[in-house]
Amino acid sequence: MALDERDGWSDDDLLALYARGDPVAARRLTLRFTPVALRVAQRMLADAAEAEDVAQEAMLRLWRMAPGWQPGQAKVTTWLYRVVANLCTDRLRRRRTVPLDAAPEPEDGDPGVAARMIAADRAAALEQALAALPERQRQAVILRHLEGLANPEIAEVMEVGVEAVESLVARGKRGLAVALSGRRDELGFEDG
Amino acid sequence: MAEDDPNDRGLEAFFAAGRDRAPAPSDALMARVLADAEAEMVRPAEVAVLRPAARPSRLAAAIASIGGWAGLGGLATATAAGVWIGFAGLADPLEASGLITPPLSVELMPGTESFMTASAEE
Repeated sequence: MALDERDGWSDDDLLALYARGDPVAARRLTLRFTPVALRVAQRMLADAAEAEDVAQEAMLRLWRMAPGWQPGQAKVTTWLYRVVANLCTDRLRRRRTVPLDAAPEPEDGDPGVAARMIAADRAAALEQALAALPERQRQAVILRHLEGLANPEIAEVMEVGVEAVESLVARGKRGLAVALSGRRDELGFEDG
Repeated sequence: MAEDDPNDRGLEAFFAAGRDRAPAPSDALMARVLADAEAEMVRPAEVAVLRPAARPSRLAAAIASIGGWAGLGGLATATAAGVWIGFAGLADPLEASGLITPPLSVELMPGTESFMTASAEE
């Protein structure tokens, strides 16, 4: 299924059309927003099956809120990021009932983890390092550096101030730097 | 996206790799989401049904209170009949309408009355 986000319709237009029963709008919204929801969910949860469930649930909420959507008052993507983040938070909280020994705990320079990594798979290394970050730092880093959101929009998604976002991103990146510093050579990086 | 943090240069290579290898939804997920969309979608016919009903006018409410248009027809007929009776000056509308007839007198013993009259005069 092709992912065509350049269909010329605004998010607000498509939601309004969907609310009036337009099946083409339903398809365009599906193509436009499901990948966004899945990307964030998978990076937050590091679990493909759970991420799919979250993406589907977030989209279901999108369908249900469409009739009451007020155009121009907020960005649909901001709303969607927030819903996905909240759904992920719920799932992460449920996971905490699992004994900590069962949770993966990647260590800086862990030779066992390093040996299992494909040398060129930098994205996988990043995903693993992200999974080890505290939840709020992980969310802020994902939205800032993988989704490309500006700090004010992240603040809106996370319902905190911009300064708090800056702090979360900075701390998250320090954590990533520590986690990934021992793997740069293994992943084919050269200094520079 | 690079900032002044000395870690940024190294991290950006990981972020770029992460962006390039972003997880994509499977066809099965897209199909499930689209099925949800269609299930939740309000059909145009339903939009018409769901549109709030117009508030009835006072005239419509009054007509409804007397039993609808059938009741109104009956009321109009009764009114017209009353007007006709009034103008015609009929003493007994029921008799005039033929619904009842004047009482009949029946002599059970013909001649008895004249006999009794004659007896009284004697």
